[in-house]
Amino acid sequence: MSGTEGPARSREKGRSRAAHPAAQEPVPGNTGVPAGKPAAGMITVPHPGGHAETGTAGRAFWSGAITIGLVNVPVQLHTMVRDRSFTFRLLHKEDGQPLRYDRVCTRDDKVVPWSETVRGYEVRKGEFLVFSPEELRAVAPESDRKIRLTKFVHYLSLDPMFFGTSYLLVPDRSEDAYSLFLSAIRKSGKAGVGTITMRTKEHPVVVHAYGGGLVATTLHYPDEVTQPAAYPQLRELKAPKDAELALAQRIVDELSGDFAIGEFHDRYREAILSLIEKKLAGEKLVYAEPHPEEAKELMEALKETISTLQKK
Amino acid sequence: MKRETDPAGTEELTKVRFSNLDRVMYPAAGITKKEVISYYIRIAPRMLPFLFGRPITMHRFPDGIGGEGFYEKDAPKGTPDFVAIFLHHSVTADRDVRFVLCNNLDTLIWLANLASLEIHATLSRAASYESPDLLLFDIDPEPPLGFDAVIDVAKVVREHLQADGLSPYVKTSGKKGLHIVVPLVPGYRFADVRSYAHAKGTAIARDIPYVVAEFPQSRDKGTIFIDYLQNAGGKTMAAPYSLRATPEATVSTPLAWSDLTRGVRAEDFTMKTVLGTHEEPWKGILDDRQKI
Repeated sequence: MSGTEGPARSREKGRSRAAHPAAQEPVPGNTGVPAGKPAAGMITVPHPGGHAETGTAGRAFWSGAITIGLVNVPVQLHTMVRDRSFTFRLLHKEDGQPLRYDRVCTRDDKVVPWSETVRGYEVRKGEFLVFSPEELRAVAPESDRKIRLTKFVHYLSLDPMFFGTSYLLVPDRSEDAYSLFLSAIRKSGKAGVGTITMRTKEHPVVVHAYGGGLVATTLHYPDEVTQPAAYPQLRELKAPKDAELALAQRIVDELSGDFAIGEFHDRYREAILSLIEKKLAGEKLVYAEPHPEEAKELMEALKETISTLQKK
Repeated sequence: MKRETDPAGTEELTKVRFSNLDRVMYPAAGITKKEVISYYIRIAPRMLPFLFGRPITMHRFPDGIGGEGFYEKDAPKGTPDFVAIFLHHSVTADRDVRFVLCNNLDTLIWLANLASLEIHATLSRAASYESPDLLLFDIDPEPPLGFDAVIDVAKVVREHLQADGLSPYVKTSGKKGLHIVVPLVPGYRFADVRSYAHAKGTAIARDIPYVVAEFPQSRDKGTIFIDYLQNAGGKTMAAPYSLRATPEATVSTPLAWSDLTRGVRAEDFTMKTVLGTHEEPWKGILDDRQKI
């Protein structure tokens, strides 16, 4: 089916997640949902998401149960990883006003309200298959709030390449069962493998022990991960000469050590934060609602009057 | 309130947040609120010295002079901090009135942004509210008499005052008439000033047949009323340089006596003409206080 009523494409690229109906529930991996307390001195950037940023531990965004056969361990899911990349608001250079993203129809450049949107799949350039919400709901996997584990494997046999997002599992009035399950897999060095459905996607998941708790890490599907062999440059690599290899190996040996993630700092983030502190301390602040363009000539009049009054 | 650093390095010029700048205030003259605000900004150096410390009454026209106007004595809800307030217990209304004092540029701009086209000021200052520091003759014609007759009478009033050793000031009311004002030394009571003005009016009415000195005749056809009754506590006059709600956007314009020649029309003194001149006939009026 082609778009007989004209393209209903919206400029999805820059859409604001806040206004997206599907974003009413928190999105896994949403950077605006930190689980733990913010570190001292951290500047929290409020996100306009549906999930209020509380900055405190203890707010679950998903609760359900780990099920292994007939055994249920009720748990709550908490976000574990938060992206602390720095975000800036985009402003209009001339007047400092924050900019807003709108869904704009590509035909007449008019803003389209959410109520007038549908989902379309682009079959060919400019041609879309339109899906109604009912159609999409019918095929969406049912989220039954279960982490279904079907198998246990050695944790170290898992390929980290496939790791997606990790969530901390917290017992939901199930401390005894939780403790038992945690102790069992910790002792064996194993991890449970199964599936979890979040929002409209079913993910492979692995549940493993980490730092005194159970952690569920979603996994990517095989077709989501690029295989290096797809690249001809990599398929046709020549083997190095022995002498070169020996030299390279010596360098590797000399630089060998233990892995310590604490050695790494986000230096860009630190630089921005210190810049913010300097600006807050030393620079003039104005309200972020400066005079609009139309008031420009009033500003001119003001400058004149203020200088006249100062002379008086 | 969000705060941001000022990227362009421009100074914060006013604390007033402008609104509805494109709203038409004077439909016939095509004057928008932006132009009204611009007028008050530009006239501020001439207007503010007079307004300082003087309780005002706003005459607001949110929808322009085509819509309903209303007088407002009390500082409205949301009056910002930079506006000075004079709290006065009104005996007649039996309540406290929170008068606005237009003591700074931001207040004047704020008033303009409230569409207070007209700004009326009391004849006394807040610090000595019961004691007038201005004497006012409000001279208004009843048709068919017009502005020429008003000028004639104003000059007679001036002669009478000069005979008492006074040098009065004159301005258009912005409507049909003229205001004659004498700045006073401190200590007068409104009753004193009122009876002085009344006596002058009565004397002039004896000499000129079409001049009336009493309120009951003030609406008689073909008369000029010398109104002395404005000299009372809480009464106001259009402040010098206040806009008026007239089709031409007239201004209550301070004038030199020499400006007043027959043929001059009251509606000649408008927002545009006032800004076109840098004359300040009332300059220093409050340093020229006189005894009656």
